Amino acid sequence: MKYRTLTYDELGETIYEYEHETGMKVLFVKKDGYKKKTAMFGTNYGSMDSVFKVKGQEIHVPDGIAHFLEHKLFEQEDGNMLDKFTSLGASPNAFTSFSQTVYYFSCTDMFEDNFRMLLDYVQNPWLTDENVEKEKGIIGQEIRMYEDNADWRVFFNLLDCLYVKHPVKIEIAGTIDSISKINKELLYDCYNTFYTPSNMAVVVVGDFEPESIFSIVDEMIHFKNTGKVEKKYPDEPEEINMEYKEQKLAVSMPLFNMGVKDNARLTGFELLKRRIALGIGLYHTMGRSSDLYSRLYEERLINDSFQFDVSINKNYGYLSWGGQSPDPKKTAGIISEAINEVKSKGIGKEAFDRIKKSQEGMFIRSLNSVDNIARELMDSYFNDTNFFDVGRAYSEVDIDYTNSVFREVFENRTALAVINPL
Amino acid sequence: MEMHSDKTTAEKLAERNGITFYRINSNKFKTSRADVFFVDNLSKERASGNAILPLMMKRGCKSYPTVKELESKLEELYGADINAGVSKKGELQFIGFHMSHISDRYTKGERLFDQCSDLLMCMLENPLVEEGGFKDSLFRQERDNMVDYIRSKVNDKMRFSLTRCIEEMCADEPFSIPEDGTEEDVLLLDPKKTLAIYEEMIKTYPAYVYISGEVDDKSIQRFIDSFMASVDRQNIKKINLTNVYKDVRKVRKVEEPMDVSQGKLCMGFRTFVEPTSDEYYPLVVYNGILGGDAHSKLFRNVREKASLAYYAQSVLEKYKGLMLILSGIEAENRSKAEDIILKQVEAMKEGDIAKEDIEATLKSLETGMKTMQDNQVAIVDFFLSQHLTESGEDFDSMIEKLRAVTLDDVVRVAQKVQLDTIYFLKPDGSRIGEEEI
Repeated sequence: MKYRTLTYDELGETIYEYEHETGMKVLFVKKDGYKKKTAMFGTNYGSMDSVFKVKGQEIHVPDGIAHFLEHKLFEQEDGNMLDKFTSLGASPNAFTSFSQTVYYFSCTDMFEDNFRMLLDYVQNPWLTDENVEKEKGIIGQEIRMYEDNADWRVFFNLLDCLYVKHPVKIEIAGTIDSISKINKELLYDCYNTFYTPSNMAVVVVGDFEPESIFSIVDEMIHFKNTGKVEKKYPDEPEEINMEYKEQKLAVSMPLFNMGVKDNARLTGFELLKRRIALGIGLYHTMGRSSDLYSRLYEERLINDSFQFDVSINKNYGYLSWGGQSPDPKKTAGIISEAINEVKSKGIGKEAFDRIKKSQEGMFIRSLNSVDNIARELMDSYFNDTNFFDVGRAYSEVDIDYTNSVFREVFENRTALAVINPL
Repeated sequence: MEMHSDKTTAEKLAERNGITFYRINSNKFKTSRADVFFVDNLSKERASGNAILPLMMKRGCKSYPTVKELESKLEELYGADINAGVSKKGELQFIGFHMSHISDRYTKGERLFDQCSDLLMCMLENPLVEEGGFKDSLFRQERDNMVDYIRSKVNDKMRFSLTRCIEEMCADEPFSIPEDGTEEDVLLLDPKKTLAIYEEMIKTYPAYVYISGEVDDKSIQRFIDSFMASVDRQNIKKINLTNVYKDVRKVRKVEEPMDVSQGKLCMGFRTFVEPTSDEYYPLVVYNGILGGDAHSKLFRNVREKASLAYYAQSVLEKYKGLMLILSGIEAENRSKAEDIILKQVEAMKEGDIAKEDIEATLKSLETGMKTMQDNQVAIVDFFLSQHLTESGEDFDSMIEKLRAVTLDDVVRVAQKVQLDTIYFLKPDGSRIGEEEI
């Protein structure tokens, strides 16, 4: 059995990479001493894949269909997969993001049986008109739940401000109206298009030997469909869609999310470097050690809920920040001034070294969690990057590069989304 | 195949003036930690005062008097983290202080534990004070932040419905007091009163200290020797046991309207099971079968069969002996959902439990017990729970106790469980059909 072994001594981690005969990649990380074992089977298909070709013809599917399919795959002709996993002591789940649908389980015992089940059911959808209709009630309540979630709403309102056409702005679960249009045939179209080995990957993390994993993959993978996936995303203008969006919900204090779009489209090591540099830049501007943070906190324009996030991916990228504020517009104005100051002055050496050191420490810290490693491996693979290269990427990010990408991104206009109390 | 297990243990290192020091043995993590918990009896008079202490400490200490200086120092220490906050278990309130940093293996020779410990101790022992009180300007900010935080609890509708249900259900018991107190009690605080509470905390509250990760013996000894060394600790406070008994005469029904899309149902039950009793293990199994996992009766019947909800689950509050059932539903489906839920609770009493369900629950609990040992914070929380109840259990022995639970044990517990309060956060109708606009 041929596989590649990549060892990262500085992180104390090793990754084993295997390519199945269909071309599908299997990534395995051995975590000595850990009791938890996790396996994920994922497709590079998420809420933003709403337009694609079926038999040469372009179709536009209802919003929320990737997530709907995720729910439905658990149902099999001989029962619900959730029951089968739990009867073996495993804890099964799945998630749908903008660009991925990932099925997974974690367990401590009987890993091989659970792993076989995972690989099997994801390859075998069982959809009927009745079971599709039944799911609409459940997903409808999931949508309702998110309608009342102010953090979620303000985030999607920001994406709506930032993006003109890009489907990343589409609600992951869709709307009550859009899911009412979903049927068995559309679900099969999506399944047959995106659930193919060239668009999928398997990730396993736990304390066992790589060969056993790879031979189970050989035994269980039997895709009938091995077509190539052609994804099409609309050309997103560099400009933002709108500067401001407001909504009212039952919250105690206004909530804001502010952000900026990154128009660069990168993959591989360059993507990792850009992500790191923008993280350092943002941290320097608004992290807890920044003058901006102290000022806003002491003036009580922000509180402990303030957070920021760097999301730089193959097909979309943005930086966002926000939290509760009694006066989001005033706060946004002060933040914009601080961003402009960092743009003109740049980051100094002392701050750069300190923040980089801290971020590297945070990366090492994240390797404590089996679940986190598995999620990051899958996400990195679909972004054509290697998760453990993050360590090496840190050493190649310097001040000049950081200042230049920070300036480049903040040439774009920022947008502000606000949730006001009723 | 059963691998030879490396046991996760908490070894008692020292006990001094009501402070007990433990070392968690488990070396697979890339971080080292020190977790300190001071314990007080949950009371209306003290809850808010205790809860504001972590906020004050996070503002800095004598050596690092501003957030900017403190945070910059933590960044230099490879993104070390110092955090603090309050929580409650039953009718006890915990004021927790937590320090963590990456292991020395990853720092190119720099040793972090001593430096980070000094920072933690500076925050604990030398907070920012003036004229017999906490520094006034900081105190005002944090008091207002706390009020905002308490008000913002309404934002998370699921948690809000849970908290409201408990407040109604335990209205005349200390358990109804939120872990960070109430707005009116926060507003009664001033810098001097709060500093007096702080003094009481460091001098008289019992404390539990846990050190985990790759830390050498010398550093551990240094930590133990210097921790609270300058504090004259005496008259250590006595911690009360939480009462799990209450006479339930009539089911209480509370309905509150709000401008929301989804209704939130929360049903509060009393189990009358003490955390130290033999019935605790059957109770855990009972809860798992009824509403723990995807195989549970609630998930199957409310979600999968009736399509009424995305979530329907039950959770236990170990120390107060409560079980709470939560579900998010359309307002019009309320009585349908309640009926289905109560039918499941009834089925449990009648012993209508499939053999496969009890087995799946036991396996799932066992998996939970094992995987908890892959998370440093969860390990500390587990042992803190054991030490509070003076139970000598570890992960393995607890798995054994769960495995020994029989169907009869579960049914016996099921028959004790009583519905106390039904809380419903009701959509007031103004949001219906909004997505069409």
